[in-house]
Amino acid sequence: MEPDVSIETSCMIRVAVLPIGSIAIPLFRDYTSMLVRHYTVSLSSISSFYTEHQKSPFAHQPWDSGSLRFKYMVGGSPASPWEDFQSNRKILAVIGICHCPSSPDLHSVMDQFVTACKSYSSSVVQRCFAFCPGDSQLEDESFKGSNLILFPPADRQTQEFHLQTMMQDIAASLLMEFEKSVLQTESGGTILKTPLDSQASLSSEEVIKAKKRRLGRAQKTIGDYCLLAGSPVDANAHYSTSMELARLTGDFFWFAGAMEGSVCALLIDQMGQRDQVLDDEVKYRYNNVILHYRKSFIQDNAQRVSPLSFELEATLKLARYLCRKELAKEVVDLLTTAADGAKSLIDASDRLILYIEIARLFGTLGYHRKAAFFSRQVAQLYLQQENRLAAISSMQVLAMTTQAYRVQSRASTDHALYQESGQNHADGGKAHHNWIVSLFESQWSSIQMVVLREILLSAVRGGDPLTAWSAAARLLRSYYPLITPAGQNGLAGALSNASERLPSGTRCADPALPFIRLHSFPLHSSQQDIVKRNHGRDDWWAGDAPSGPFIYTPFSKGEPSQSSKQELIWVVGEAVQVFVELANPCGFDLKVDSIYLSVNSGNFDAFPISVSLPPNSSKVISLSGIPTEVGSLKIPGCIVHCFGVITEHYFKDVDNLLVGAAQGLVLSDPFRCCGSPKLKNVTVPNISVVAPLPLLISRVVGSDGAIILYEGEIREVQISVANAGTVPIEQAHISLSGKNQDSIQSIAYETLKSSLPLKPGAEVRIPVTLKAWQLGFSDPDAAPNKNISGSTGRQVKDGCSPLLLIHYAGPLTYSGDASTNGSVPPGRRLVVPLNIYVLQGLSLVNARLLSMEIPAHVGENHSKVQVETSSAEGSPRTDRFMKIDPYRGSWGLRFLELELSNITDVVFEIGVSVNMEDSNNEENPEYDYPKTRIDRDYTARVLIPLEHFKLPVLDGSFLVKESQMNGTTSRRSSFSEKSSKAELNASIKNLISKIKVRWQSGRNNSGELNIKDAIQAALQSSMMDVLLPDPLTFGFRCGNNTLQDFAELNLDEESDIQGARKGSVRTHDMTPIEVLVRNNTKEMVKVSLSITCRDIAGENCVEGDKATVLWAGVLSGVTLEVPPLKEYRHLFSLYFLVPGEYTLLAAAVIDDANEMLRARARANSCDESIFCRGPPFHIRVDGTM
Amino acid sequence: MASTACFMIVSKNDIPIYEAEVGTAPKKEDAAHQHQFILHAALDIVQDLAWTTSAMFLKSIDRFNDLVVSVYVTAGHILHIIHTRLMLLHDSRNDDGIKSFFQEVHELYIKILLNPLYLPGSRITSSHFDTKVRALARKYL
Repeated sequence: MEPDVSIETSCMIRVAVLPIGSIAIPLFRDYTSMLVRHYTVSLSSISSFYTEHQKSPFAHQPWDSGSLRFKYMVGGSPASPWEDFQSNRKILAVIGICHCPSSPDLHSVMDQFVTACKSYSSSVVQRCFAFCPGDSQLEDESFKGSNLILFPPADRQTQEFHLQTMMQDIAASLLMEFEKSVLQTESGGTILKTPLDSQASLSSEEVIKAKKRRLGRAQKTIGDYCLLAGSPVDANAHYSTSMELARLTGDFFWFAGAMEGSVCALLIDQMGQRDQVLDDEVKYRYNNVILHYRKSFIQDNAQRVSPLSFELEATLKLARYLCRKELAKEVVDLLTTAADGAKSLIDASDRLILYIEIARLFGTLGYHRKAAFFSRQVAQLYLQQENRLAAISSMQVLAMTTQAYRVQSRASTDHALYQESGQNHADGGKAHHNWIVSLFESQWSSIQMVVLREILLSAVRGGDPLTAWSAAARLLRSYYPLITPAGQNGLAGALSNASERLPSGTRCADPALPFIRLHSFPLHSSQQDIVKRNHGRDDWWAGDAPSGPFIYTPFSKGEPSQSSKQELIWVVGEAVQVFVELANPCGFDLKVDSIYLSVNSGNFDAFPISVSLPPNSSKVISLSGIPTEVGSLKIPGCIVHCFGVITEHYFKDVDNLLVGAAQGLVLSDPFRCCGSPKLKNVTVPNISVVAPLPLLISRVVGSDGAIILYEGEIREVQISVANAGTVPIEQAHISLSGKNQDSIQSIAYETLKSSLPLKPGAEVRIPVTLKAWQLGFSDPDAAPNKNISGSTGRQVKDGCSPLLLIHYAGPLTYSGDASTNGSVPPGRRLVVPLNIYVLQGLSLVNARLLSMEIPAHVGENHSKVQVETSSAEGSPRTDRFMKIDPYRGSWGLRFLELELSNITDVVFEIGVSVNMEDSNNEENPEYDYPKTRIDRDYTARVLIPLEHFKLPVLDGSFLVKESQMNGTTSRRSSFSEKSSKAELNASIKNLISKIKVRWQSGRNNSGELNIKDAIQAALQSSMMDVLLPDPLTFGFRCGNNTLQDFAELNLDEESDIQGARKGSVRTHDMTPIEVLVRNNTKEMVKVSLSITCRDIAGENCVEGDKATVLWAGVLSGVTLEVPPLKEYRHLFSLYFLVPGEYTLLAAAVIDDANEMLRARARANSCDESIFCRGPPFHIRVDGTM
Repeated sequence: MASTACFMIVSKNDIPIYEAEVGTAPKKEDAAHQHQFILHAALDIVQDLAWTTSAMFLKSIDRFNDLVVSVYVTAGHILHIIHTRLMLLHDSRNDDGIKSFFQEVHELYIKILLNPLYLPGSRITSSHFDTKVRALARKYL
């Protein structure tokens, strides 16, 4: 059988084209391509070369419309045993092609040509074309008139013209030879035989039979020559005669051959015009041809030779003739029948040709799967031939099938389509599903695997490592779930073996492992955030944030909701990272030699890294790179160097695969089978690269990132910010964010402002004063910590620390770049997290209110105390011990006792200061008390005297509310209760804020204890007593001092009653004593005063039987009226009989007490009299001299 | 006598959603692949033939060597949504049995389609379906 047969094959003149001498293959191809263009030579053009030697047997030759057809057998072909049967099978002409510069000796060329021609005995015309002869060769006259034809060097066009002329000459020569042959055949003599005719048994019967048939066969041969000579009418006539004769002699084989020729003649005659009638005629005749070929089957020599191949050839010829879409059914039937014949073919190469032809015809018909099927059969036949060339053929044939089986190499597919798919898959679920399904069209995994395996096998055998690599890669990547671990290992081995034979740096279009998907695009780290600059606003960074209280406002401009639209801005020269996830779902260790981001736009320097993946594992890695140029940037995937070959992995592929896996269309999700969690589809955002921006880098000076503070500690830290970019910073602004913002007490905004513009490389230090916050008592881990290891710092939860936001920006225009059409370069935001770790410092164990009762002495001299007091008002007295003036006493003096425990491992010193005025003059407290030292693991108490807090006036309004809160009198509305409560709280707060407990630890840790709550709790119950003065205060004084002194006393608080004077009181001496009653209210108070004197035993020594003190004046029941805020003086005299210590006590009963007084005294009923009592005053009585 | 039969269900976009070797001949991997190749190639023929006839059962539409392909095209092929072809490669000539087999398998397939959890066009993984199909194959083929 012959490939590429058609009905018209019968009229083609075969010309062998042979290379002569040494000639380079490309050059030979080039010359051949010039030659094969002349596959038809019209009869009209050869008439000038034609000379009629005798009367032409081709009577009806169409000289004006006909043509000769050539079929060039490049490289020649062996002689066929069927040459007699079909003259077109003969090689009728030989053309040698010689390149003169490479074979200078024309004589040897000629010799070679003659030798070559010898093997083509049937050839009647021989020519040797010598191209590009040198001058000497051209001058050589010895070849004139021989078969050697020199083509002088000329341009292509001239050469082609020259060649055409030569072909016309050859055609004319052939025509003349055909005439000779016809005449020779007509005259008889030659016996035409085919291999079908038995040669061995030349029985008489056979000879007779052959003689009978000879005439018919001769007629067929003449018909063949007529066809070759381009004269269909003549041919038809001869064929008709031949068919008649063949039918009579029962020579079915030749009958069929003649009929085949007649169809060809018919078609030539029709000159390519087709219609239904012609088709039917051709179909009818060819079916007859096929039938007769089948009839000619002789059982005898079926083992040796069979007309089957002619039958099949005829079938294929008809199929090729009919091969049109509308006749598909008939063609398919014909081809199916032909395919059935394959089993009976003896010659393997015949079968090969048959399958090739069937595949080609199916392909022409548009039945690609059928074509692929038969192509695969071809490939298998090739593979059965155990040689390298056959393997390469097999590989090439299989490569053609890959499209039908959807396993094509990515190199052969249109990549634009790949990229485009999935652009708009957001519309509608159904359409989406259809789109997904279409991605996995014709996923016949088992046959795909077989095809790939065969490609791999043939490529290995054929020695094409790249194809082998590619096939193994596709096989492994797409079908790993169907391959056993051993098989996977084998494929890995195949990949390595193939890569060993490839030059390093080979690229392959088909990726192997690993699977790579985009994991995430880390937005800028908080250090490098890019903020769009809102031009024209002072706070230019605020433009982006949604205005108003809503996160989402329906009125805001509709932002594209698709997350895929998100924009990412990268900066030239600043390294960026992209996280990708790799998966190796196979059972072997995968070593990725290098992997880096693939960027087509060429403005990105990617940094390769190498990864190794254990079996069935996935890994998230970060790939980094540096954008190098302004513009947009696309990252379609990664370049991977694995198994010795460089491949590009597209994210889109894996995304599609994962979607397919989700839809149940693909076998397995490579990431899921590696145990990686399901990940949302990450799309590559639009990345634009902008010109360099300034870049601030911050660090906290002198700490390793964390600032460790004790509770309440105040410290100034230096935050150093430096411009690490290449653009100066012209605008900068600091703001606060995050939790515990109040722990930042001050920021030196001005320092930053004044250092602008910050040049590249410049650094500025910004002092920030921090005050550590209080650790929450509700913190679950604080409580156990306190007992077990109090000194260890507690881990601060994330987000506890405040953040400094520094918005900064470079110049408003890009430097020297006019192409930005007026857009403002973006600014940036630096987030400086102040990692404050608060350690538990001193802890407050207990706070309580103590009162101290030291009786005052009654004395004369009080001027010294007064001076001291007055000087205390103005100047600070830092190191002053708390002194209790014995003449002032401290009756009712209250202390706040704080019990503090030091659970840290450092020593604390506690200092208390009271700031009287609410000025913020922190450094000059009114009262400052000496420091208390608390060693580690010890508990200490600190006393805070609450002596300076008494109000000078017992204010009614305050007290009324107070009383109502206590519920003693009628209730008011809850509103007023609340307001009064608030007022009380405010006053408490006011009081508390005056007390500051500072601590110091070591050299540079200092802070303030936050004990407000504790003080408040301690004071809450007895607030009134602390804050409010008694309605009446009493004082005693002895001696003859001026009354003015007394009056001028600054009556601060309780201790203002300066009854006591230094001075000696003697026995047996009348001592004048005055008692002072001060009214602290704003109303006139009517009291009945009584005074008692007790001795050291507490016995009343004024009254009774054993009275040791005599007295003059009124001591009891003194009724007096004290005007508001004034004092009343009552004089009396005592006469002590016995020396010793005496105590003077004043008491008063307030008559007609108003509500306020009653409330102050917490009286229950209104008729109860209010009893006021002064503190005891000591008086020392010396004996007489 | 050992018979060869390979049954496949091909969904839209020519994705095979079910495949089973239901013949009694001893199983060989190569043969199974060859069967699938033949069925795959026959899709070309089916695709043209389905439009020329209103019959659902297309008997012996293609053959290779002694293996014959019969196809049952579901009615949905006009809609192109659940255009499904039940394809059987067989060497027996028991047309009635094959037709009955197709009809019964079609019913089973419809039941699968009615399952709300089944995504049309995805692989049929139901073992129940598989068992039933094999039982039907034993009964009719």
